[in-house]
Amino acid sequence: MQVFFQTIIGGVSLGAIYALVALGFSLVYRTMGLVNFAHGNVVTVGAYLASTFYLTAKLPFAVAMVVAIVVTAAIGLVIERVLRPLENRDFDLMLIGTIGFGIVLDALVIMIWGATGRAVPSPVQTAPLSLFGLRIRTYDLVVLAIAAVATVLLVLFLSRTKRGAAMQAVAMDHEAATAVGIHVGRSNAIAFMIGAGLAALAGGLVGPLLYVNPALGGTLGIKGFAAAILGGFGSIPGAIVGGLAIGILDSFTAGHFQGYSELVTFLVFTVIIMIRPTGVFGERTVNRA
Amino acid sequence: MARSRPLYALAVLALVLAGCSAPGSDKKDSASDTGPIKIALVDAQSGQLSSLGAWELKGAKLAVTEWNAQGGINGRQIQLDVFDDQGDPTTGTNLARKIQSEGYLAMIGTAESAVTIAMAPTLKTAEIPNITSGQSPGLVAVGSEFLFLNGPTSTTYDETLAKYIVDQQGIKSIAMITNNGSYGKGEHDAFTKALAKRSVTPVADQVVTTDQKDFSAALTSIRQKNPKLIFLGAEEVESGLIVKQARDLGITAPFAGGAPQGTPVFLNTAGAKNVEGTIVSSPYLSNDISPASKKFADAYKAAYNEDAELHGAKAYDGTQIMLTALKTSNVATGKALADAIRATKYQGLLGGFAYDNTGVGIFATSIGKIENGKLVAATG
Repeated sequence: MQVFFQTIIGGVSLGAIYALVALGFSLVYRTMGLVNFAHGNVVTVGAYLASTFYLTAKLPFAVAMVVAIVVTAAIGLVIERVLRPLENRDFDLMLIGTIGFGIVLDALVIMIWGATGRAVPSPVQTAPLSLFGLRIRTYDLVVLAIAAVATVLLVLFLSRTKRGAAMQAVAMDHEAATAVGIHVGRSNAIAFMIGAGLAALAGGLVGPLLYVNPALGGTLGIKGFAAAILGGFGSIPGAIVGGLAIGILDSFTAGHFQGYSELVTFLVFTVIIMIRPTGVFGERTVNRA
Repeated sequence: MARSRPLYALAVLALVLAGCSAPGSDKKDSASDTGPIKIALVDAQSGQLSSLGAWELKGAKLAVTEWNAQGGINGRQIQLDVFDDQGDPTTGTNLARKIQSEGYLAMIGTAESAVTIAMAPTLKTAEIPNITSGQSPGLVAVGSEFLFLNGPTSTTYDETLAKYIVDQQGIKSIAMITNNGSYGKGEHDAFTKALAKRSVTPVADQVVTTDQKDFSAALTSIRQKNPKLIFLGAEEVESGLIVKQARDLGITAPFAGGAPQGTPVFLNTAGAKNVEGTIVSSPYLSNDISPASKKFADAYKAAYNEDAELHGAKAYDGTQIMLTALKTSNVATGKALADAIRATKYQGLLGGFAYDNTGVGIFATSIGKIENGKLVAATG
């Protein structure tokens, strides 16, 4: 029983990170119908920026995170601006463009920070909490809280602000949105910006849990993408549920199937997707590709 | 039929051309008496294993620079070119063909047993001697007369470790956690065998994948067994993460392992406090062991402004052996060079090298312990 609960705890903390990555994927997809294949690499960039501001510039962790999010969001804006001319012409090219951006970012990271990577010490130094023989890292609680706050803010932005409503409108029908005077390009830019900011949040938060190196975003990107699909691509609650589900699933398969856990995780994932192709919350209202 | 005939003719022509030109041009490139001696260094310069590749490159480059400063071999400079295998076997096999076609005499690397094993058949056919930093017993199983190791195999590492832990310290309650990659698998098998020889059965035997990030399940089952010691068979970063998470879960037993556990990356990933007491089996414990290692460490520090460690030292030794063999054989190639490497007796940083038929040249490691954030020789 102890193993069971401890496994869930371990899965939830990485699951929250997957959820943040999945949110970024989903936000861009629901707005533009585009899968941003550079998203994983943006996570790496965010992780490096956060660790640089934290370790090298010696800023407090929270400040380092905010600066990293702002800078990474700006990078998101640049990606969108470069790809914008393709938006109404050839969608496949745009897709390939994001893959290209991913490769460029990957190379830039290695050029700037080197290939070796760095360890980020945990900003929360308190010992893990002990509860009925279970151990809960305090930093995990911080990660969960921040992920929850970020999700609530995102939902509020999309449902309560004018700009958010405009983005929803573009997501539903971009031609009709244009007709009523909504600037589609700006809407897309905001989606990319927030997506990149979420990637930086995920990357920065995961740094102290893992090891920041150029390969970091690759793993998180794939798991995050799977999470987004599992929850229903484009759905905000779906991204959260999908992220936590992939995290916990991963944790359990690791315990039961050991060396074959990766295989089993994705087999289970495939079976779920075969039974329910639109994911848990998917309605397929967004389909512009 | 009519359409395929010119194609067929072309194919025959290409074959004929390849048949007469490839070996000739190979020879001309490599065995010519002038121009630099071309040696390829293949290692991960990107990806998760890139720290290994970076250390290797630094060690090998240091040896080559020394030789070049002394006038090279037979008046020819040594040219060390770097290829990035990304720690990926498929990329490795492509690179093996590339260094063959570009006329490299010999190869240094890789640091990943799986990549080296993948490259071995191509290099064997091409008769390019290769000194690797891998340590998996699988390298010996390949049975290539062109493949040499610049250090002991996992069998040696783990036999020494088991001897210290079981025979000397009398610890019998041992848990294992290893990954299913080439290195981890080798460690798992070698250590299990060393334990079996002493009729010790591990209390837990957990296997993880190479890019797993959360080890709660494996570590919680280990914690329930309450072992006195945990054997760790995974690369630097993953080992560090395992130790960090183990301490968070309240596991206090010390860890023990091979080369990766003696590196700064392991120490930084896990946190210095968490690795205190880790037992390490390594052929190169520190930079202060001998006058030669002190000299090497000083040169390393001067060149790269960082402290030398095992992998750089191994690559340095391997490159020295390769260059010595090139010198004694009068810049031979192919089989003659491989024989020259086998005949080379070399007193290196890791100890005395004398190669046997399996391509292994050294059969001893020492036991070290991490104390106050530093790896020191274990006492008793």
